[in-house]
Parts: sequence; structure tokens; C-alpha cells
Amino acid sequence: MSPERDVERDTRAERDTRSEPNYDDHFDAIVVGAGLAGSAAALTMADRDLEVLLIERGSSPGAKNVFGGVLYTPTIRELTDFETAPLERYVSERRFSMLSQDDETAVSLRPGAWHTEPHNDSYTVLRGDFDEWFAEQAVEKGTTLVTETTVTGLVRDGGRIVGVETDRPDGTIRAPYVVLAEGGNSLVSEGANLKSTETRENVAVAVKEVLEFPDTDDAIEDRFRLLEDAGASYHYFGEGAVGDAFGGGFIYTNEDTISVGVAYRIEDAVAANQSPEATLNAFKTHPAVAPLVRDARTVEYAAKTIPEGGAESVPELVHDGAAIVGDAAGLVLNNGVHLEGTNMAVESGYQAGRTIAEAAAAGRTDAGALASYPTALENSFVMKNLEHYDWLMTKAEADRELLFETLPRAFASAGTEYFRMDRDPKRVHEASAKRTVLDAVGGWVGAAKLAFRYRKVVT
Amino acid sequence: MSVQPQIPPVENESLEDRLYTVRYDDPGDSHLDVKVADVCATCETNDCVKVCPANVWREGDDGVPTIAYENCLECSSCRFACTYDNVVWEYPKTGGGVTFKHG
Ligand SMILES: Cc1cc2nc3c(=O)[nH]c(=O)nc-3n(C[C@H](O)[C@H](O)[C@H](O)COP(=O)(O)OP(=O)(O)OC[C@H]3O[C@@H](n4cnc5c(N)ncnc54)[C@H](O)[C@@H]3O)c2cc1C
Ligand code: SF4
Ligand code: SF4
Repeated sequence: MSPERDVERDTRAERDTRSEPNYDDHFDAIVVGAGLAGSAAALTMADRDLEVLLIERGSSPGAKNVFGGVLYTPTIRELTDFETAPLERYVSERRFSMLSQDDETAVSLRPGAWHTEPHNDSYTVLRGDFDEWFAEQAVEKGTTLVTETTVTGLVRDGGRIVGVETDRPDGTIRAPYVVLAEGGNSLVSEGANLKSTETRENVAVAVKEVLEFPDTDDAIEDRFRLLEDAGASYHYFGEGAVGDAFGGGFIYTNEDTISVGVAYRIEDAVAANQSPEATLNAFKTHPAVAPLVRDARTVEYAAKTIPEGGAESVPELVHDGAAIVGDAAGLVLNNGVHLEGTNMAVESGYQAGRTIAEAAAAGRTDAGALASYPTALENSFVMKNLEHYDWLMTKAEADRELLFETLPRAFASAGTEYFRMDRDPKRVHEASAKRTVLDAVGGWVGAAKLAFRYRKVVT
Repeated sequence: MSVQPQIPPVENESLEDRLYTVRYDDPGDSHLDVKVADVCATCETNDCVKVCPANVWREGDDGVPTIAYENCLECSSCRFACTYDNVVWEYPKTGGGVTFKHG
């Protein structure tokens, strides 16, 4: 890039976003949505000297965004000045609980190594703060950010995508490349027939509250057994979490608030005859959860959908003049044990950005020239993880009653039996506990079949 | 000792109080609608009403739901829930609608 363009870029970055500048053909690439995927793409392209316009509908990046959540940071750490990132706590414990109506059976991990940098690249964050910071990192590399602007459609020339329509007074903005990073509610990609609308079996509704403890100092540290900036990630499944629905509950510790929520498939939410809000209330009053959230006050109530169709739902990722990244491309791993989308959003934005910069250097915009983006994703953890777990969702769906109702109950009663205090010898309790679990899974044959069905979880 | 499970009282705030925690900039008109009112009138499941975490969709007298769009959290669940694909869902104009401080 010539020095003049650098100067021009600086002034452009400071323009009043509410005036009516003519952005047409000023930019090499337009990114739709300043979420994690969009900012990663913008940052990557700006870093390679492309003129990038990042368009966000919210009043600031993150203003419309909601997640659980733990941010997974292996790629972000490399792309940014990560020391300055607004992080809440690092994850020092991960806990998985099965809840029946009254019981909890939990497994907890607190590896010593997670206390030291880079903390397994897992941090709780609040998206309002984090997304704003991340977009700022892209702006520092030269990206132009406009907010309060919604992209309403794509501009085509023949089959090629050559720009976007917006709800701004000047409307159309043309550029050789468009990156669709609009998240799971991808109205633009769907409107342009770049993907189909997900069915409700493949989308979860999530409701979440950020809670604070106004009357209790150190409530978070005490209840979650934490010191300083260590944090906890608690996942819950079973009928005590979300009834007989496919999904679960979560609690994450922030610096001085906690995030509590439930997420379950829309298909089940409508069948349950209980509003998502009521499901959240029930989860919070479960005997295992209530002591963690008592005396808390709601600071924020939020809701959002999670695309969870897995590898099979990923659309064509590149088109002539465009690439789809992040949740818009369905890149979320949600299988009960893992809930990861942040790392996939950032990685896909980064890979798409790199590819576009290379294509721009070669002077090409056709889908063929962008093919190295899907290839890079295929070879990365993103598609490998999605493909690895696709089978799990299908199997788990078939075993749903067993996994979410029968087993949590059986484990709880086996545990009670195993530790039962009476005047029978331990051997009697052990045998009875074993029988309870075996009965639940259909005897030895059932257990062997179950182990075989889920062998890939451990192999 | 009590035989009841030891559940401390958890006060769940009302939906009104919860919705009060988020900022809403009214863009002036609704970003939500139904495509064909007759489809809603014959729809028996009202899944839009059931899934909405903000009570935006409400059962209407004539079978067509009424929409209190000012409560919308923009989660998009109603859009996926309706099996008749009868929900019109747009983003509120010029960045209006809900703003989350934390997310
Ligand atoms: C309840 C919940 C819990 C989750 N928990 C976790 C977790 O703990 N860990 C984890 O790794 N992942 C989690 N995820 C998944 C993760 O949040 C997503 O995968 C990730 O945020 C996707 O990033 P994105 O940039 O693709 O989309 P988004 O973060 O959704 O960003 C999209 C952006 O585009 C903007 N936009 C949309 N349309 C337009 C338009 N037309 N014009 C202009 N701007 C537009 C939006 O305002 C938004 O800023 C969770 C998701 C949910 C909903
Ligand atoms: S919007 Fe859909 S789900 Fe709601 S009443 Fe109409 S047809 Fe039924
Ligand atoms: S988007 Fe969500 S909050 Fe808004 S009306 Fe639809 S279901 Fe309700």
C-alpha cells in the first residue's frame, strides 16, 4: 500500500458514522458483523494491508451479543495484544453434574496446570466488553468500523457478490470481497440463498442471567472455592437441569458476577409447555444449584439461539466474492461435554481473512480462488472436531431418555446405595449399587452395547 | 432435623423486572410480524408463543398472536420455532432494539 493510502485510512477511521459518506468502492473487503468471527477476519485482512470495512448493527460491537461463557483463546492470543484483553477469570475448574429431580452426581476437574499461564486458553468474559475490545484491535490495524448499521442484503453482478445493501442513507456499498460473520441468525446469508434456514431440531434456545451478590462479599470465591482470578465452569445435564429436553444448564464465574443459564433444543422447548424463562427458574431452584445462586440479584437477562447442527449443517463456505464464517457457517460444537464456538469463530475468521488477502494479491475474487479457506478449516481443529462429534449427537438423541433421565437417577441411587450406612456389610451395598446401574442400561449386554456406541468418546 | 431437602429460597425476579435490566431503543415500528394471518388462525401449536423467553408473542383472541415487539431480546427463537415458516423477522432499523451491557 502506498503512504497516501495510509493517511487516507487514518482519517477515514475517525469519520462520524452517522454522516453520509460515500463508502462505495473505497474498500477491498466488507465484513458483516463485528462479533468474534468478523473482528478476527477484519483484523487479519487489515494486518495484510487490505482496506477493510467492518459493519455492526449494534451501537457498539458486542451490544447485541450473548454467550455463556467461556472464551477459548488459542488463536486470539496469537492475533492480538492479548495482555490488554478484558478477561473476567481464567477457568481453574470444570465440573459436570447430572441432575435428577432431587439429586446431583458430579465429576470435577481442577488440574494444577490450569492455574499457570496460558491457563489452558479458557477465560470467562462478558461479550459487551470483550467484543468491543476485539473490534478495537482490528481498528488499530486499520479497519474502519461502522456501528448502528444493518446489512440488509448482498449486491450481485451476475452471480458474483460485489457488495452489500445497508439501512444507511447511502445504502449500497461495493467491494470485491464480502465476509459474512453475522452469527447464527444469518438473515443476510439466508436471504441471498447462500444457506438454508436451520430446522428447529438443530437450533437451541438459550436464556441467561448475569447475577450479582449485593449483600455478600466474597460470595463467588466462597461458594465456588476460588482464589484471586481463578474461575469455574459448571455444566449440568439431566432432568433436573432442563426437564426431558436435549440440552443443559450452566454457571460460569465472572469477576464479580456469575452467569447462569439454560440451553435446549427449540424442538423440545415447544414440546415442554414450559417457557424458557420458567425452565431457568426451575434450574436455579434445584437443590444443587440454589445454594450457589441464593441472595443474588439479576443484573441482566438475555437470550439467544445456538446453531448446533454440527458438520452436516455447515453450508458452502465460499462463493464468488464471499466467504461465510463463525456461527453463520454453523461452526459450533455443542455436545454436552463441550460448548465451543468462540474458538471456531475466531479461527474461521482468521482463515477466511488470510485466504482473501492471498486472493486479492493474485487479483482474483472467484470461489475457486477462495478454496484454500474451506481447505484450511478442514485441516484445522474446527472441522475435525465437528466431524469427530457429529455421530455423538445422533446417538445421544436416540438414547435420550437413558442419558438424561434413567442414568442420572440410576447413578444417584447407586451412589446412595454404595455409601449406605446400616448394618449390612459393604459387599451387599456394592452389589446392589452395581445392579441399579446395570438395570438402567439393560444388563451386561446393554452396558457393552452402550460402551460400544460411545467408544469414540474415549478412543 | 428437617426431612425436607435443604433448598435455600431463591428469588427469581419477574419477567418485567428481568426485561427492565436491558436497554431498549424503540425503532418506532415492529421488526416482527406474521406473513399470513390465516395461517396463524389455523395453527394449533402456537410455538412462537411457547418458545419466546420475553413474552413478546401472546395468544390473540382470533388465533393470530399479538406481538409486543418492545420486549424482544432478538434471540431469533420464534423464527426457528414456527413450523409454518410464518414469522417475519427483521433486524430493528439503525441499530435500534435491545442493547446488552454484559452479554
Ligand atoms: C447462550 C450461549 C452460550 C454459549 N456459550 C459458549 C461458551 O461458553 N463458549 C464458547 O466457546 N461458545 C459459546 N457459545 C457459542 C459462541 O457464543 C458463538 O459460537 C460465537 O459467539 C460466534 O461468533 P460469531 O462472530 O460467529 O457470531 P456472533 O458473536 O453472533 O456475532 C455476530 C455479529 O454480527 C452482527 N450482525 C448480525 N447481523 C448483522 C447485519 N445484518 N448487519 C450488521 N451486523 C450484523 C451481530 O450484531 C453480532 O455482533 C454460546 C452461545 C450461546 C448463544
Ligand atoms: S407464527 Fe407460526 S407458530 Fe406462531 S401462531 Fe403463527 S403459524 Fe403458529
Ligand atoms: S426473537 Fe426471541 S425474544 Fe424476540 S420475539 Fe422472537 S423469541 Fe421472543
